[in-house]
Amino acid sequence: MANSALTLSEIDAFYGDSHVLQRVSFQLGEGRLLGLLGRNGAGKTTCMNVSVGLLPPRSGSVELFGAPVTKLPPESIAARGVALVPQGRRVFKSLTVRENLMVAARVGFAGHGQIPWTAETVFAMFPRLAERRQQMAGYLSGGEQQMLAIGRALMANPRVLLMDEPSEGLAPQIVAEVMATIRKLKESGLSIVLVEQSPKLVFDIADDIVILNSGRVAVVSTAAALKQDGVDLRQHLGVF
Amino acid sequence: MTFWLLLTVNSVTFGGLLFLLSAGFSLIFGLMRIPNLTHGSMFMVGAYLGSTFLGGALGFTLDFWAAAIISALEVAVLGALMERLLLRRLAGQQLAQVLVTLGVSFMVADLCLMGWGGDPISVSTPAGLGGFVRVGLAVFPLYRMAVIGIAVVFAIALWLMLERTRLGAMIRAGVDDPQMARVVGIRVSRLFTIVFGLGAGLAGFAGMIGAPILSVYPGLDQDMLPLALVVVILGGTGSLLGSFLGSIVVGFIYNFGQALLPELAYFVLFLPMVLVLVLRPQGLFGGRLL
Ligand SMILES: Nc1ncnc2c1ncn2[C@@H]1O[C@H](COP(=O)(O)OP(=O)(O)OP(=O)(O)O)[C@@H](O)[C@H]1O
Ligand SMILES: [Mg+2]
Repeated sequence: MANSALTLSEIDAFYGDSHVLQRVSFQLGEGRLLGLLGRNGAGKTTCMNVSVGLLPPRSGSVELFGAPVTKLPPESIAARGVALVPQGRRVFKSLTVRENLMVAARVGFAGHGQIPWTAETVFAMFPRLAERRQQMAGYLSGGEQQMLAIGRALMANPRVLLMDEPSEGLAPQIVAEVMATIRKLKESGLSIVLVEQSPKLVFDIADDIVILNSGRVAVVSTAAALKQDGVDLRQHLGVF
Repeated sequence: MTFWLLLTVNSVTFGGLLFLLSAGFSLIFGLMRIPNLTHGSMFMVGAYLGSTFLGGALGFTLDFWAAAIISALEVAVLGALMERLLLRRLAGQQLAQVLVTLGVSFMVADLCLMGWGGDPISVSTPAGLGGFVRVGLAVFPLYRMAVIGIAVVFAIALWLMLERTRLGAMIRAGVDDPQMARVVGIRVSRLFTIVFGLGAGLAGFAGMIGAPILSVYPGLDQDMLPLALVVVILGGTGSLLGSFLGSIVVGFIYNFGQALLPELAYFVLFLPMVLVLVLRPQGLFGGRLL
């Protein structure tokens, strides 16, 4: 496997007394796309929260390109190149579209010869946001908010992009658009974790697959191998 | 006729002072959810420090405006220090914050009493503003008009800062969703310090600007704090426009109440607060940060 961009090792995480992640380990290779699957409550979002510093793990470690970031606060982890498209979008509702992008802007880690992300390049990718740049984000449609959440994450010019169920609640056509965007981002060399509940969306686009079940890692594999073997994933993912 | 007109001018002037006082209180509460009960103390300390600078405490006498600005800066530093040293450790513990800020306000009151004694200190109107302006038949005290002007200028400046700068957008993002703000890399804790210092500085500035009208005396802090509370509850927390409108409303209620129903002045003042809290807890003017 390529160098590791993000490594979670033996993570134990709690909300209060409830033990939500149990010795969770997985690795996102540099330039790869990891699909993180699992049914409702499996612990996917909790993995994201641990990775961005919102939920410090009780034990275990998080490494970014080999450097430990385990107990760092979210703003420091952001500065080291991790960006999150959170579940439920969580755009800043009382800020305009443009302001949502501006508050997240940083020089970041745009690769050599790559065009860095700015408000203008985000608007070029999502023309619908460009038309609404002065509008309050709270008044955008669900799909537009999702695009804004993706644009906001890109404004940091991250090295690692975490996307938590970006297709949730969107019409199929918009989902296809979002997936096409993710594909483009992957081709640009970004290392991506894509969280979804449905493997259908993920298998085509992912290099690697991790499946969580009740807070534990149940399956680690490559997308190709899983497709070939036709492993029965229903026990981990429910009926689909 | 003149009586009513003067009462109106006084109400608007007082509303202007209240705005300078409560804008910071409201921002601090909106961003940090801290009910800062030292806000009245900041007002009083600003006035005491300013009056002292006027009296030549620095070895030379400052003019009124320089004294107001320097005391505001000092109070801003005090506020920022208090946030860093005390309140930061109490994040999310509202009861502890209330008790600590209340305790500090009593301690500050004692220190002021020790430093400046129990007698009221009057501050004279700054040079050139002691007169009156005549508009038709009516006569307006010049200084009160200046106070109104200053409040409007500050309201506009604060609005521009919040609405038109990146710092302002970051502050609003922090009010909207503090966790997500941190995840996108905004150093929310630094914003807290800035906003706390700014709010305290504004309160200190208001104290000095108000001193020629109210004078400075022990207990000024406890006179002003409830007014700021009423303003913020009427206007909605975290809303600049709400603070502005709330300040004017409270300025009127307070002045008319004192003039017409002096024995019920506090009743008249707090009744709307109680009603709003019970019936419309987001404030009269919504809850948006404007
Ligand atoms: N803030 C919280 N406090 C307490 N328990 C929580 C909290 N957030 C999540 N949980 C619990 O932790 C477990 C894992 O939740 P998590 O949000 O990580 O699941 P998920 O895989 O993202 O699910 P979904 O697909 O529904 O988003 C669940 O049992 C959930 O109820
Ligand atoms: Mg989730």
